[in-house]
Amino acid sequence: MTFFLQYVMRRAFQNMTGNLFSNLITVGIIAVSMLIFSTFTLLAFNLTHFLKIWEDKIEVIAYLKRGTPASEVEPLLSKTRLVEGVEIVRYVSPYDAMTFMETKLGGQKNLLQGIQPALLPPSFEIQLKKDYRNSAKINDVVSHLREMAQFEEIQYGQEWVETFSALVHILRLTQWILGGLLLVGVVFITSNTLQLTISSRREEIEVMHWVGAGPGFVRVPFYVEGLIQGLLGGGLAILFLFLLYQGFFLHIPPSMQAWLAKGPVLFLPAETIAWILLGGMVLGFFGSFVASMRVLRYK
Amino acid sequence: MSEPIIEMVHVSKTYPSQISVLSDITMEISSGEFAFVAGPSGSGKSTLLRILYGAEKPTSGEVVVDGMQITQPGFKKIHQLRRKMGIVSQDFKLLRDRTVNENVAFALEVTGHTRRGAKSKASDMLRRIGLEEREEDPILSLSAGEQQRVAIARALVNSSSLILADEPTGNLDAKTTLEVMGIFSDLNHQGTTILFATQFTGLIKRFPFRVIQILNGQILNGKKGVVNEVREVKAGE
Repeated sequence: MTFFLQYVMRRAFQNMTGNLFSNLITVGIIAVSMLIFSTFTLLAFNLTHFLKIWEDKIEVIAYLKRGTPASEVEPLLSKTRLVEGVEIVRYVSPYDAMTFMETKLGGQKNLLQGIQPALLPPSFEIQLKKDYRNSAKINDVVSHLREMAQFEEIQYGQEWVETFSALVHILRLTQWILGGLLLVGVVFITSNTLQLTISSRREEIEVMHWVGAGPGFVRVPFYVEGLIQGLLGGGLAILFLFLLYQGFFLHIPPSMQAWLAKGPVLFLPAETIAWILLGGMVLGFFGSFVASMRVLRYK
Repeated sequence: MSEPIIEMVHVSKTYPSQISVLSDITMEISSGEFAFVAGPSGSGKSTLLRILYGAEKPTSGEVVVDGMQITQPGFKKIHQLRRKMGIVSQDFKLLRDRTVNENVAFALEVTGHTRRGAKSKASDMLRRIGLEEREEDPILSLSAGEQQRVAIARALVNSSSLILADEPTGNLDAKTTLEVMGIFSDLNHQGTTILFATQFTGLIKRFPFRVIQILNGQILNGKKGVVNEVREVKAGE
């Protein structure tokens, strides 16, 4: 077995160095294809991350009808706390609301002069349980809250959540469609390069067939060559993506950097990098398999 | 009489273009035998040999080589079949970027021998064939006759008991042809079965071995028009 592995690795490297140019072209094309795919993966990963942060901060504000008697507030609080998915409920009186607005306006709080706190509606600030902080489950909670007649209006930034979710969804879809197209391309390119390699070693392969070399001895070095090409292509793609990622931070304006500090732009996690490398290897292997099926028959 | 190492029963080969290359061939080659397959260019000699080493499938008929029924539907052990035989061709099929020893050792390496073991066994085989002094030389530095001897060494190095030689002297001059024939003859005396395709009647007359004459894909009985029989022709006949 050790001998076979040594033989296979030696032959694979001989094949690669013997056809260095075509191998470099193949590795380059795999790298570019995987870079495009990985870029979309990185974008989708970060947008999903942002969505997650945003969803974590999401809360529902339920405005009570004006003139709701104070005696009804406490029972309503208790009833709201019992709604499935609700974690914390805080009552914000018109006075609290006025204080909050004054704080927000800061130096311009004199704009509120003459406005009576009673004009502001009382409200409940409702924090949801973690599992309920997504657009589908928020809708369930809100529909329960709407059944309570004391609420005038319920706000939870629904449009933002839905638009952002749709954006992430489109990006993921693009990533996989593009990934599929690139996959076909990479298999085609790898299989064609390996056919060139195989053609250049036709005499050797013919002799191998003549002397009774088993299919493993003939084919496996080409499979390994495809795997190595895929691994190198995937590795280069990750390297380029990392350089682009670093370059992105070097060239963004400081104001944007401050904004990004609130929700940092992440690089791909190790698990995703491993999947991309494995994907490159699988593509390379598949390309070599297709090539060997076409040209490595016994003659 | 020795056991047959090759049996062909009613074997025909027709290409999709309806060209019939072999027609109803029935013959046996015994173990340890030397037989010429003789006939002009295009008579079907090479196709017959290609069927025997599994490079082509006959359209009909049965072929058994060294106990392996190679015409069995779904037969996939071509590499095992070829380990039982050595193939020698007119154009030597040697690897031009390697030395003499590497060419012979290659046949062992790709069938599971270690590099060191293959090199040592190749040296032994080259000594047997009289090329021990050239074993580290590049293959292209050898004469045509020497290259054919290397090809024979490669065909034998896997301990093959059968050699299928397709016009092995086709590219050689008269003197070298006799040298190479001498090697084949010696191997046959040591027990190797040899099936030797050639179109040169002079060669056949010189060596007193069995002759299977083939013309237009049919085995002749020496006389034109009489088919399907194996004819044994002695030298000078």
